[in-house]
Amino acid sequence: MGTPELRICHLYPELMNIYGDRGNVIALAQRCRWRGYGVRVTPVSLGDGLDPTEHDLYFIGGGQDREQILVCEDLAREKGDALRQAVEDGAALLSICGGFQLLGDHFLTYTGEDLPGISLFDAKTAGGDARFIGNVAVESGLEGVEGVLVGFENHSGRTYLGSGCRPLGGVIRGYGNNGEDGQEGCVYRNAIGTYLHGSLLPKNPRLADWLILRALRRRHDLDELPRLDDSLEEAAHRAALELTLREKRRRGVSP
Amino acid sequence: MAAGKAVTQLSRRLGAGAGSNFPGRVVLRLYPEAPEEMAASLAGGCVLVSGTNGKTTTSNLLAGMMRAGGMLPVHNRVGANLMTGITAALAQASDRKGIPRGDIGLFEVDEATLPAAVRRLRPRLVIVTNLFRDQLDRYGELESLARKMDAALKDLDGEAVVLLNADDPLVASLGRDCPARIYYYGIEYAGVAEAGLRHAADSKHCRECGSPLDFKANYFGHMGKYSCPGCGAARPPVDFAATHIELSGTRGSRVRLSTPRWQGELFLGLPGLYNVHNLLAASGCAQLLGLDREAVERGVEGYSTAFGRGERIPVGGRDLFLVLSKNPTGFNEVIRTLRGEGTGLPLLAALNDRIADGRDVSWIWDVDFEELAPLARYLVATGTRARDMALRMKYAGLHPSAIRVEPELKRALRAALEGADEGETVYALTTYTATLDLRRLLTRMKAAPGLWKEA
Ligand SMILES: [Zn+2]
Repeated sequence: MGTPELRICHLYPELMNIYGDRGNVIALAQRCRWRGYGVRVTPVSLGDGLDPTEHDLYFIGGGQDREQILVCEDLAREKGDALRQAVEDGAALLSICGGFQLLGDHFLTYTGEDLPGISLFDAKTAGGDARFIGNVAVESGLEGVEGVLVGFENHSGRTYLGSGCRPLGGVIRGYGNNGEDGQEGCVYRNAIGTYLHGSLLPKNPRLADWLILRALRRRHDLDELPRLDDSLEEAAHRAALELTLREKRRRGVSP
Repeated sequence: MAAGKAVTQLSRRLGAGAGSNFPGRVVLRLYPEAPEEMAASLAGGCVLVSGTNGKTTTSNLLAGMMRAGGMLPVHNRVGANLMTGITAALAQASDRKGIPRGDIGLFEVDEATLPAAVRRLRPRLVIVTNLFRDQLDRYGELESLARKMDAALKDLDGEAVVLLNADDPLVASLGRDCPARIYYYGIEYAGVAEAGLRHAADSKHCRECGSPLDFKANYFGHMGKYSCPGCGAARPPVDFAATHIELSGTRGSRVRLSTPRWQGELFLGLPGLYNVHNLLAASGCAQLLGLDREAVERGVEGYSTAFGRGERIPVGGRDLFLVLSKNPTGFNEVIRTLRGEGTGLPLLAALNDRIADGRDVSWIWDVDFEELAPLARYLVATGTRARDMALRMKYAGLHPSAIRVEPELKRALRAALEGADEGETVYALTTYTATLDLRRLLTRMKAAPGLWKEA
């Protein structure tokens, strides 16, 4: 099998990138390079074809309304089927905020537009009038990533999960999926949706490695990844968590 | 003028110094009509400068040109760009009868405050410099901000004038139904264009039809020469242009200006292309106000660097080059400027997440630090989010052994200076409130002149 190579598909990189979401791709790529693995990042955007067997890990970030409408139409064409198939085949996927919303069943914007999702996640999103903005801390329930995830959320959409997927974790501070049920994000097979910007992965390196390991395992015989020196990552995580817990903010209330 | 008089006395009692917003807030509470009254007594009317970046530099340049041309501007303090700050500036400049001692208002206005400022101050001229995402966490989407600004411009009088940055597609699209006369400024020099849009580019789509814009030239961020393949919309022709630009690193740039009335070359002692835009906005506005070429030239010559925006301070036998870097586009421009300074550079980066900086620091992942890492000998990271900064540089490729985290500013400054050789320049890249902190620290150390000097 030789040296493992992670093949990342960066979906709509120029359209769906808000609040530094591209930092997640930078983190995935660097954490492979530091281990001596190969990395290939393929941007796939409007009108491009998507072969579900060509990539190990898919990433889609958040966007503004206009960009989200363009992407929604494009996903509905043929990429949606390919993405669902890839995830059924065990590919890893990370979607943030607007990207997360478009992978659910549908997204009802605050202006009343009903954007159909690709139903990769059993989740529905409706736009709200107030934005949920602030630092977030989430107790992760993901096996191997137990512990706290930190990030920054900024969304007006309220997402509600159905029974076909489970939340990524429970909100300790912040609003999470909808500001009501205390849930944050969603997990289905090796696919994750979340509202956490930050960027998410650099400060939550174990989640990054969870995705990398699952993505590589399909083609490479790997039980675990070689450890990296994450002292800077852990220091940044600790500092962000302290800051988030120090903030006096009520949970689940419109700002 | 009853309100104005009371306001002046009140504002004296409240003190003009420290918090620029406090006196304004009290005045507005007691005399809600005070800004209207005071603004109406300015013989030369009001000029408003709005946009994400460059408000302070543009209005400081413009204030210098106005003074050189014999005008006496009433000008708000750095960063005090809400109605409260504007009201405080008017009150503090007024005499005992409540009449402002000045003949023209020159106000930096926060983008979201523009509708209120237009309604209340009835400006004769409005400048919009650019729109970036830097304040999205406060204002939501750029598009909805643009709609609010459209509504504000629609509210202008027919005799008013609007001056827009043609190189910013979103700004150039403003003022569609605006009764005022619209003028544009922009860069007309391919020598400073780069290929392709950067990651940090914000407005990449046609506002009319949503198609991705074609960029024939890209200067920085989403600034460039663009057209829409979908509906044919294009960058408007400009009235005030920079037709030749010679960037000389952190020292500044030589710029050839072309205006409807004259053409000429001048040296701008401010680094980076973004400051060329600020020069175009200020000189364009000066000309629209009837100021002559000499006033523009003297204004630019006499301009002492706007507070914190690129300034060289000798300290401890080294030179500290202090530059405000508060959002991806600004930071990328700074990095581009640093590329002209060689490699092996000592760096100090201060990242704060206070309200004035924006609480969200995820924008640092949109900055092309991958281009800065190879230029750095070492980086000392400081500020309330020092560790985020350090982590960003690690992922950008700077070896962790070259990165030091010192959240406390004084220790960070010492570490950054100690790592540098005698006479060497240490580059300090700081967010808004970190710039204030650093200036304050340097003043205490007697390294820098007063906190800031208003031009
Ligand atoms: Zn168009």
